[in-house]
Amino acid sequence: MKNQKELYKKVCEYLGCDLDSTPCKQIQEYLKACRNCEVYVDKIKKTVNIYKVADSCDQLPDDVCKKLFIILDLNNSDQPEESSEKD
Amino acid sequence: METKDLQKETELVSKAQNGDRQALSRLVIEYRNRIYHLGLRLTNSEQDAEDILQETFLIMIRKIHQFKGKSSFYTWLYRIAMNIGLQKLKSKPHKYQHVSIDDPDIEKISSTAASEWPTFDYGQISKKRFRKKLDELVEKMPDNYRTVFILRDLHELSTEDTSKILQITPSNTKIRLMRARNYLKVQLEGLVAEEGLI
Repeated sequence: MKNQKELYKKVCEYLGCDLDSTPCKQIQEYLKACRNCEVYVDKIKKTVNIYKVADSCDQLPDDVCKKLFIILDLNNSDQPEESSEKD
Repeated sequence: METKDLQKETELVSKAQNGDRQALSRLVIEYRNRIYHLGLRLTNSEQDAEDILQETFLIMIRKIHQFKGKSSFYTWLYRIAMNIGLQKLKSKPHKYQHVSIDDPDIEKISSTAASEWPTFDYGQISKKRFRKKLDELVEKMPDNYRTVFILRDLHELSTEDTSKILQITPSNTKIRLMRARNYLKVQLEGLVAEEGLI
């Protein structure tokens, strides 16, 4: 299993155990024989990824941003500083 | 955050504490998207997210002199936003009945034949209908699980920072995250097939 070593490290890290501790060695032995565990972790990864992709669509709307700076009585210095950086 | 960025931010915070309006403005610019996003995920309401955004930065401006640097600035700011968000949630009736969240059934995982998920068509995910269903799944989770999932997996904060923001132990953070992820995975198994993602 190509991801088995990574999986084993993550499980040990999760448990807060040293890699060469007895519980971690037992886990390593168990995972060698557990194909489903790898599938499970892969599905968890994909689940998180789906949410991340879906989430990346959410941007702060311009009007909300403008209103924020008015309420805070601050200048939105985003634009001038960006253009001076380019110079 | 890298050391260089952290130094820059420390200087900015120090200037802001001394009343530098430009420094305050830079801090708002730095964190406005993340705070809005946090509010949006927490409440699933654009109006509430906007309120959380405004209230968070109003408090930041009012109380920045109280920030002592014991934690990182963003941990301090996130905690303000999270408290406002949670108060907002408490003041409203929940749209959905919260589901019960359990530990993954390890015995079942290892003994039942499991089929892999192939690569998803991520283009489908941004579609409104599917997105709405994803949001519903997150909204159905009790607040103490949803907050951990948002901070750890969506905002990619560390276990330590998440624990500080939510004022829970790191072990508790890990347990809640494991349960939240497992719940979402189980729910998604049905949804991805139903929506033709695979």
